[in-house]
Amino acid sequence: MMGRMLLRRLAPLLACIGLLVVWQVAALAINNDSFPTAIGAIRAVPDILGDKESLINILASLRRMAIGFGTAVAISIPLGLLMGRSRVVASFFNPLLMVIYPVPKAALMPIIMLWLGVGDLSKTLVIFLGVSLPVIYHSFEGAKAVEEKMLWSAAAMGLSATQRLVRIVLPAALPEILTGCRTGLVLALITMITSEMIARQSGAGNILFNALDMGQYDTVFAMIIIVGAMGIGLDAAFERIRARLVRWSEPQFDIPLSFS
Amino acid sequence: MIEIDHVSQVFQTSARQDHLALSDISLAIEDGAFVSILGPSGCGKSTLLYIVGGFVNPTRGTARMKGKAITGPGPDRGPVFQEFALFPWKSVLGNVMYGPRQQGVRPTEAEAQSRALIEMVGLKGFENFYPKELSGGMKQRVALARTLAYHPEVLLMDEPFGALDAHTRTRLQNDLLNIWERDRKTVLFVTHSVEEAVFLSDKVVMMTRSPGRIRQIIDIDLPRPRRRDELLLDPRYQKYVVDIERMFDDGAEGGSQP
Repeated sequence: MMGRMLLRRLAPLLACIGLLVVWQVAALAINNDSFPTAIGAIRAVPDILGDKESLINILASLRRMAIGFGTAVAISIPLGLLMGRSRVVASFFNPLLMVIYPVPKAALMPIIMLWLGVGDLSKTLVIFLGVSLPVIYHSFEGAKAVEEKMLWSAAAMGLSATQRLVRIVLPAALPEILTGCRTGLVLALITMITSEMIARQSGAGNILFNALDMGQYDTVFAMIIIVGAMGIGLDAAFERIRARLVRWSEPQFDIPLSFS
Repeated sequence: MIEIDHVSQVFQTSARQDHLALSDISLAIEDGAFVSILGPSGCGKSTLLYIVGGFVNPTRGTARMKGKAITGPGPDRGPVFQEFALFPWKSVLGNVMYGPRQQGVRPTEAEAQSRALIEMVGLKGFENFYPKELSGGMKQRVALARTLAYHPEVLLMDEPFGALDAHTRTRLQNDLLNIWERDRKTVLFVTHSVEEAVFLSDKVVMMTRSPGRIRQIIDIDLPRPRRRDELLLDPRYQKYVVDIERMFDDGAEGGSQP
């Protein structure tokens, strides 16, 4: 039993080590300049994190991501909940979202840049768009699935329609909403990098693609490691908050999907 | 006093056809009476309850409570559903306190009242459990306590024990009777179980299969307080059950004709 538990806790770490070993062996076997070894890439990580310029770039990325994600969540959750509870709102917004959903948000970047320039606003807007749709969709589904009788019970206690939306639909749909936010968080990271790839000016994506242009492949892969680590770190932090908020709905067993 | 005055209900089916669920129902329920609405599934008996609750507006006719037309839900009519409909993000105590808090009762007072109610429904020690950690019978006890907590004048019970196993059901029936015999609230109780209706009620309203009409109203003249073991041996109880079952058998054959 003890051994199993230990294995379960260490499994994510072992998976990462396994990946690095495969990488190392493959790089040594291929022996190509554009494919550095895992050790080479890891060695370049402290150089990036120790460089003030790079740190400012990465922090600028994270700031845009936080603003984009935050505003997207703040607007998408109420919109999704309203759509889930009102047929009129749903039939108005659903076609719009159906059109926007399959469009890769980064593909809009050149047009947005034309309108809003290459600065923070364009990049933040792209992140906002990337995060919005999964959050709206999951909030919508969560609100739609709220048991009618639960709302009736609340109505009998004297809760108004608005109170029911905030105090019954929102908490009842919270597990589903947070699933959407988690997807949104990963998408925020992806759109953050792609937006910086297209509008090079600052940010983590800028470091990555500049290094690529200059043939500094160690730095390229080190940046990929850093972005990956940021993804894991953000996801783990979010998962921790999520688990705390929806403890009341969790099944007793869960597959460890993250490092939390 | 609740008056149901020539109420009919038409639903649109998914095939966009009109379906008459309730047809011209008129019924008066006196204060303090325990009235069961008994009928086969699909006879619209729950719909009738939802109309009294104000959750569903009747297509024709009106329902009145103390002379005033019912236009929406209100704390004077407290529902208890077969599906429990507890707030899963709230503990047992949080669920029971919800109504009183909504009504502006001070937190300490609401908590004291709620704890007493939780004890009354036999769940002392489970105050901090979440609904998912409770069995079906326990959930329905919480739901009952949650509704009693805001002191509705009428309890609207929609097949409340329908999802429970036989043993749990009889225990909850007994407990409900004990609680009811203390303060004699008006109860409107929907069920498809003849025994349950006879055991609990002063009056049984028998409904026909779709479209739901009132077939007959039977006064259950059995002494209170009722005890299950005594009642099961009582020939009068047995006669009520058998008579009602026979009437349904006749009705079912008649109703199944195309």
